[in-house]
Amino acid sequence: MGAPLVTVAIVARTVAQLWGKPLLGVNHCIGHIEMGRLITKANNPTVLYVSGGNTQVIAYSQRRYRIFGETIDIAVGNCLDRFARVIKISNDPSPGYNIEQLAKRGKRYVELPYTVKGMDVSFSGILSYIEEAANKMLSADQCTPEDLCFSLQETVFAMLVEITERAMAHCGSQEVLIVGGVGCNLRLQEMMGVMCQERGAKLFATNERFCIDNGAMIAQAGWEMFRSGQVTQLEDSWITQRYRTDEVEVTWRD
Amino acid sequence: MHFTQKLELFPEQHVTQMLFKDVNNAAELRQDAVEGNIHAALINPTMLLSPFQALLAANKAIHSQSIGKMKTRSLNSEIIFNLSPTNNISEAFKRFGISHQDRSLLVVVVHSRDDSEVLSHIAIRVDGQEVPVEEFSSFSDPAKIRKLYKVSPQEESGGLLDAVVCRMATKDVM
Amino acid sequence: MATLQLLRGAEMLKQGAEGRVYRAEFLGKPAVIKQRFPKRYRHPELDEKLTHRRTMQEVRSIARCRRAGISTPVVYFVDYSCSCIFLEEIVDSQTVRDFIASARRSSSRSDQELQRLAELTGRILAKMHDEDVIHGDLTTSNMLLRRSADSSELELVLIDFGLSYISALAEDKGVDLYVLEKAFLSTHPNTEPLFQQLLGSYSASSKKSSAVIKKLEEVRLRGRKRSMVG
Repeated sequence: MGAPLVTVAIVARTVAQLWGKPLLGVNHCIGHIEMGRLITKANNPTVLYVSGGNTQVIAYSQRRYRIFGETIDIAVGNCLDRFARVIKISNDPSPGYNIEQLAKRGKRYVELPYTVKGMDVSFSGILSYIEEAANKMLSADQCTPEDLCFSLQETVFAMLVEITERAMAHCGSQEVLIVGGVGCNLRLQEMMGVMCQERGAKLFATNERFCIDNGAMIAQAGWEMFRSGQVTQLEDSWITQRYRTDEVEVTWRD
Repeated sequence: MHFTQKLELFPEQHVTQMLFKDVNNAAELRQDAVEGNIHAALINPTMLLSPFQALLAANKAIHSQSIGKMKTRSLNSEIIFNLSPTNNISEAFKRFGISHQDRSLLVVVVHSRDDSEVLSHIAIRVDGQEVPVEEFSSFSDPAKIRKLYKVSPQEESGGLLDAVVCRMATKDVM
Repeated sequence: MATLQLLRGAEMLKQGAEGRVYRAEFLGKPAVIKQRFPKRYRHPELDEKLTHRRTMQEVRSIARCRRAGISTPVVYFVDYSCSCIFLEEIVDSQTVRDFIASARRSSSRSDQELQRLAELTGRILAKMHDEDVIHGDLTTSNMLLRRSADSSELELVLIDFGLSYISALAEDKGVDLYVLEKAFLSTHPNTEPLFQQLLGSYSASSKKSSAVIKKLEEVRLRGRKRSMVG
């Protein structure tokens, strides 16, 4: 992932200097959040950010997007993708999408490891369990691939909804926003919706165009940063793969 | 003299405890209990610290009965079983049930509200002297209790009764 | 059924993400009843298994703590059929949160009192972790102070084991302390030295503390090390 970031940074710096325009280094997650807020008009939601590389529960507080809970190992999207490989699900259009479609036809619930520790989640346990057991179960006809997809979704999504609910209870929040590629999953949205309904809270979910990574979200976050007075100096425009959401000062909100 | 408590969870049920000393017919009563001829739990009071334990045991027994999950064959034997720190039924009877040479006796009766007749019918079969339940602790043998429930000194600093009660309540998962 | 019927007439103290807490009289004693209710968003089989498991974990953790001599509410009765735990209600006590807040407001003797509190808390938490009990939700509201029965010494009572579990891993114990640290410092600003004293007492009291403290330090930094790509 380093190479694409470096490439983009070089282009950005060049264009900024060519045309004398201000440069803004944007945090990827904040891009998702700001696009989510813009599209859904959520006011101050608890944010569940779930993608191939990230799984975090975030809430805004005192000029920071604070991370309340996260994965202690791999991201949920990563877990789903690797599971798809294990049982040879097609990558076209995406493993996550295909898992979702197969899951709709699943009937049997297969018990899988469920790991929530306080506000955090862990997916490596369920992944290693299913990597080991899936093909055995399938060849012994104990369940179908649809059943496994269904059971995996029910389990990992329940974990995500649980840590979101805990963060909401902690902050007294009444809004949830789901962002990131895995946020496209309708079953996840449905489960989150049920949890919200039980608490009298409101769920905001974006549609596919804005869930998955998109350039416009970076522009949106950049625009918020710029209008509140932030600018990145050239010498500060290096790239990093370790840019925590809570490192950014959110100057555009109070 | 005796002590009756209504059960909040089962408002139709009451639990009455009667305490006896100088009991002469323990063997006969034990036989009655084994044969199911007496509708009470006959307990060795030296193994208890407080009437509260008997209440907890009775409450749990009635609960188990109501969901069809008793471990023993009758409500009264279930009460005795619930007093024990282990899940071994015969050991529970041996330690907490009346044995033929006992001189003191705690009778625990589960009955409906207005059933005082049941109590007198049972009391009359005990050849011994009823004493106020307030005298409970004079029968207790803390050393034996401590040993049976395996209560360590550090745990006992919080109170022996608390330690015992907690064991009774949690033995299903330990 | 019986327990749910009783709860209908009981006073609800709070509703968290895990479940509800009620107050009622039980066998003549003041009691607290913790109920884990079903979560509709979960698959029913998952919900049942998870709820049951958590109820058992909570009960086991309390029992383990008591065996080690740690003060906790006494468990009176567990209704597994509806995941309700009947516990002793701790009366005549004050949360550590309130204790710290009021000690800081008054300036007389407060330093000494706070130091004693830090020492006591570190020691109790060390004992808990040495029993491999992870509390899972350590905050200053989940710790109570009361005068112990036999002396006038302060006694620390740990409550709310709803997120607890058994684990020997230093990582889990480190995270347990990290959760407390975050809660402690955000609730009581500028108390870093006090919390350091707590950790010092913890280290001195636990046989396995160095691995745990090391993990705590790692967890503090961990966030900054984790890649955020994707």
